[in-house]
Amino acid sequence: MRKTARRMSGAVAALAAGALLLSACSSSNDAPSGDSTTTTSASGEKVTLSFWGWSLGLEDSVAKWNAENPNIQIDFYRMTGDDGDKIPAAIDAGTAPDIVQMEGGNIPLHVINNRLTDISQYTKDIKDAFPASAWNDVTFGDSVYGVPQDSGPTALLYRSDLFKEAGVEVPTTWDEYLDAARALKKKFPDTYIAQVSPNEAGFWSQQVIANGGSWFSIDGDSWKVSVNSEESKQVAEVWQKLLDEKLVKVVEMWTPEYWASVLDNEIATISYAAWFPAMLQENAPDLAGKWAVAQSPSFDGKPSAGIAGGSFNLIPQGTEHVAEAMQFVNWLNASEEGVDTLLDGGVFPAATVGLESPKLLTPNEYFGGQVINKVFAEAAASVPTGWTPGPTNDLTQDAIKDEFAKVVNGKQTFSQALDNAQAKTIADVKSLGLSVAE
Amino acid sequence: MTKTADKSARVARRAVSGGLRLAPYMFLVPFVVLFVVFMVVPIFIALYKSFFSIERSGLGFGGSNNSIFVGFDNYIQAFQNHEFIKSFGRVLLFAVIQVPIMLAFALLLALLFDSAVVRFKRFFQLSVFLPYAVPSVVAALLWGFLYQPKVSPIVSILSHLGVNAQFLSPDMVMWSMINIVIWSVTGVNMIIIFSSLQAVPRDIYEAARIDGAGEIRTALQIKIPMVSGAVMLTTLFSIIGTFQLFNEPQVLRSITSNISASYSPNMGIYQATTVGGDPNMGSAMAIILGLATFVLSLVVSVATNGKKSTGKKKGGK
Repeated sequence: MRKTARRMSGAVAALAAGALLLSACSSSNDAPSGDSTTTTSASGEKVTLSFWGWSLGLEDSVAKWNAENPNIQIDFYRMTGDDGDKIPAAIDAGTAPDIVQMEGGNIPLHVINNRLTDISQYTKDIKDAFPASAWNDVTFGDSVYGVPQDSGPTALLYRSDLFKEAGVEVPTTWDEYLDAARALKKKFPDTYIAQVSPNEAGFWSQQVIANGGSWFSIDGDSWKVSVNSEESKQVAEVWQKLLDEKLVKVVEMWTPEYWASVLDNEIATISYAAWFPAMLQENAPDLAGKWAVAQSPSFDGKPSAGIAGGSFNLIPQGTEHVAEAMQFVNWLNASEEGVDTLLDGGVFPAATVGLESPKLLTPNEYFGGQVINKVFAEAAASVPTGWTPGPTNDLTQDAIKDEFAKVVNGKQTFSQALDNAQAKTIADVKSLGLSVAE
Repeated sequence: MTKTADKSARVARRAVSGGLRLAPYMFLVPFVVLFVVFMVVPIFIALYKSFFSIERSGLGFGGSNNSIFVGFDNYIQAFQNHEFIKSFGRVLLFAVIQVPIMLAFALLLALLFDSAVVRFKRFFQLSVFLPYAVPSVVAALLWGFLYQPKVSPIVSILSHLGVNAQFLSPDMVMWSMINIVIWSVTGVNMIIIFSSLQAVPRDIYEAARIDGAGEIRTALQIKIPMVSGAVMLTTLFSIIGTFQLFNEPQVLRSITSNISASYSPNMGIYQATTVGGDPNMGSAMAIILGLATFVLSLVVSVATNGKKSTGKKKGGK
């Protein structure tokens, strides 16, 4: 009897699991699939558009829009895990959503693969709502392929307690930064001014952006590769000195080892994006009140920030109702009302109107009550416009990782590493069948 | 109730045997369908794709992106890719080090479990086998923790003993990975060898004992030769496994850049296909890897078969 009961319950559980699986499949089928664009009324008035995104609070933004726009309904699907990797395949297979959130680095590769819709005719009025650097990322010639949603301007997070105790001023130039590194090291032998992490290419590229450099540019009908440009080499020189004088800690970013290093007071500054403080707070709660934020150092002392991360809303190829989709996208990212909903979700917005909002500029307890987003908002305005995303963004990042790993192992210099990454990138661009300007 | 059931079963059986004998094929269908859809078809798709390339020019914007037949161009490019060729050398070295060590452990453990020396046999057998139940990604993550100096108990114990362990340094990282693979797969290889030992007729041991052979001599001169077939089988599988190396280096790469993006052939294929967006090139590389594995397996199996037959001849004398 007991045995049967157990067997029965097992069967029931199996059935339930099967049912769950089925319902999961069917629900995921109708929610995110791109062809769910349905025209309910015969006159074709009402459309429902699917939108895949990950920014926090997008559900609330969509709810607000849907309440006010009965004829353009948005069906939101929250992306998690590796959903981002599915997008290119989904577009190629014609099952992509109507609107999708994406990081900026691969936009050119997707354009080359005919995955994105040129939306330039819908963006004429919103262009000025964004800092020039953000708009630059989505503009290729006369075509526009996305609308910036959030952004990652960079600033210098520093240990105010250590700087104060060592009597060191917060550096505004890289020369001062080197001096500060030496002074800190003298006072605290186990403290380094920064970490070098070969695995975090964004840490490097944001400094190249801040220095007005770019890995790629467009030269007529050819890609110009400039991974080892003057601007890059100038940054490389600083880090070579820091490395040679053992003023930086070599540790891979995001690893348990890295956070242990931060908690052990080994790292005194981190020059990174606006989304980084939240991660710092989460992983190093014990250091509350010991950090502050200032503008990142530059070579001439004038504010010039970099960008790391940031995302865009794009319209995949195959979307039927581009005009309606763009109405929503423009409202969400460029209107005061839409950006306000993004701010409610905790997004660091790309739009200038958001950078001035009191919702963004609130004191941060972890940073001793400093309004750190004011620093980041100012940084956003000072990002140079020289950066052009290229067709092999991810491969170039990997090349830089591999080459920088050899640098921290003492096998080559940063300058040589950049030359090697340059050669690798040129080969990769050519391998895609594209032409490279020599 | 049983009677009627019996009868109807018998009737059914007769019906089937008299008919087309569909039952065996029906049982095979699920396997064959899945095998064809997920193994055979993809191989042919990859082979087909490997002879094509996407037609592009200039910046690549607004092109037609048509596939054009390029013959063996992708293969030639793959062979000219130094990193890809080097990755074969790397996994070969990996196999040369890892496979013998692992098999020695597996064989030793199998012999121990087969002998009368070990107590709590079931418990230890399970303990040795258990790591195999840990998915390799999880295993790499676990060991990844143990390799990071500031969070690793192993490193801290070693440093108390005066040893400065750098598990993730460029010189050590391959050994660290070999350690993970050995930890993962020794158990299952031990089981294969052990089951082969169990199949050896016991009277052979008895005869040996009567002839005055001790445990060690029996192990060396009877047991090991008797299971050489199983050992060769595990060698073959291990070599194939090493050539497919992907999970361990890919996971460890997130904590150390001393593993390059194209460390193993499979990582290079992933790099070309997924990261670089060139599935045609990736297909050509995958076909090369498949062929290389096939050839190597063939070489190993021919070499071992040769050995076996000479062994038999000797035995025959």
